[in-house]
Amino acid sequence: MIKLQNVSKIYQLGEDKVEAVNKVSLHIKAGEYCGILGSSGSGKSTLMYLIGLLDRPSSGKIIINGDDVSKLSDVELSKVRNHKIGFVFQSFNLISRFTVLENVLMPTKYTKGKLDFDVHKKAEELLKKFGIYERRNFFPNKISGGQQQRVAIARALIMNPSVIIADEPTGNLDTKTGNEIIKLLESLNKELGVTVIIVTHEKDIADRTNRRIYMKLYTGTV
Amino acid sequence: MVMVMPGSGFNSSSGFGAGLVGGVEFDEKDASSVSRVAGVEYTVPLYMSTVKAEAGGNETTAYLFGVNEDYFNLMNEEAEFGELFTKSDVSSKAKVAVIGSKVAEELYGDDENAIGKTVRFEGMRIKVIGVVANTGDSQHDTSIVIPYKTTFGSVNPDKTFWAIYVGVSSKEDIESVKEEIKSVLSKRYSEDDFSITEQTEILSMINQIFDILNIVLVAIGSISLVVGGIGIMNIMYATVTERTKEIGVMRAIGATERDILLQFLTESLILSVFGGLLGLIGASLTVLVVRIFFPASISLFAVIITFAISSGIGIFFGVFPARRAARLSPIEAIRYE
Repeated sequence: MIKLQNVSKIYQLGEDKVEAVNKVSLHIKAGEYCGILGSSGSGKSTLMYLIGLLDRPSSGKIIINGDDVSKLSDVELSKVRNHKIGFVFQSFNLISRFTVLENVLMPTKYTKGKLDFDVHKKAEELLKKFGIYERRNFFPNKISGGQQQRVAIARALIMNPSVIIADEPTGNLDTKTGNEIIKLLESLNKELGVTVIIVTHEKDIADRTNRRIYMKLYTGTV
Repeated sequence: MVMVMPGSGFNSSSGFGAGLVGGVEFDEKDASSVSRVAGVEYTVPLYMSTVKAEAGGNETTAYLFGVNEDYFNLMNEEAEFGELFTKSDVSSKAKVAVIGSKVAEELYGDDENAIGKTVRFEGMRIKVIGVVANTGDSQHDTSIVIPYKTTFGSVNPDKTFWAIYVGVSSKEDIESVKEEIKSVLSKRYSEDDFSITEQTEILSMINQIFDILNIVLVAIGSISLVVGGIGIMNIMYATVTERTKEIGVMRAIGATERDILLQFLTESLILSVFGGLLGLIGASLTVLVVRIFFPASISLFAVIITFAISSGIGIFFGVFPARRAARLSPIEAIRYE
């Protein structure tokens, strides 16, 4: 499903070269529920952005569904992000000018060509399932953090992606709400068979995943 | 054609500003003394004002000319429809008018239709007996020409004229006729109070003034456009910075560089076209006010040019901020706080 072969990412910080990710090889299978663990500065965010195709590796190969994506153009990468990958962020990153429903529908606006499902129906189903249908015409700043994160997850799911990448999804939430969000992600993995990758530094959350990938501090290795 | 006008006018070193304002107002006595000068073929006393003319519920602003029958000879005018008024119409104060084709169209729908109809202005009811052909000159085409004696009364109670136009039988006589008129009128008025000019002199003078005015207006307009464009560019740069995180999110959920570029370009286009629209509304209001005094309008061409230029400004000055937005690296944009 997702294969990393000897992937490195080197940042140039002034005179110094920082090897945020160093020759990482990974294989994440379809339907896996896995966590990427590591303290801050260990390069786990960089690894996540590489898997999420937001960044290009300095060397090595990233293969998704058998295709080498390291050499794709911006348009092709955007298309893969649009159709195959859903992002959930620590700070929700909803667009404050748009309502809940409009936020969920946003990925569909960037799809070239027709979709084979009714996007409005799908958005409403997701909102109903996550218990925030009544809030569909609210603006993000009028609903709670937990609700905002559900909206973000609905937005990540609207295109039926095969992978959901969640970057510290509970970081801005209290323990109780955080647990609910983690349960929600678990259920998506079980019921829909979506591959879920959670990036976190909290051991409790990582312990609930089926597979844990640890990033070692300073070396950028797994 | 020689024009006798009030004010020290065009041939004085004090320049154009002194002309047309102040000075004397001519009357019938002046006209007849001018007509007796040797070499003068036609003498046309000219009363001029703007009026709101009305007929059958339609209304238009027109120039009213009070003249005698020689006016048409002097101007080489012929009636396209109907006929021109005659010497006896002038002396009998006949309530008849010869109108320009634009007035005819505004009031009666078309030129031919106007003949025999009544036009009302300043409390007078005047019968249209002729329409002169369209020349494209707006003052000419929006004129209502009536016998000057008919203006005496409510329109022109002082029985004065704005100018006296003089036709000279042969070109060689022009200088001597000018001198002679000057000496005749000097008996009544001081030499600084009137001026005697050939039509061609006035035309070139006026053209020159309008040319300079045009250049100044175009210069001011261009500067405003550049300043406005830079304003739009700054606003767009600020918007891009403010929404950096949003751009990152959009890239993460599948927006291409092109999507982002087009989005910001559209925003600056909307901004500038909206500016153009405001400008047009302002211009329309100005024209509505000016219309009370002079015939004025906004052409379709001006509207098209306005939208073309404002869109051009929006695109030109919007491209740089939009390109910056599109080229942001997605992860740096997402991390931006």
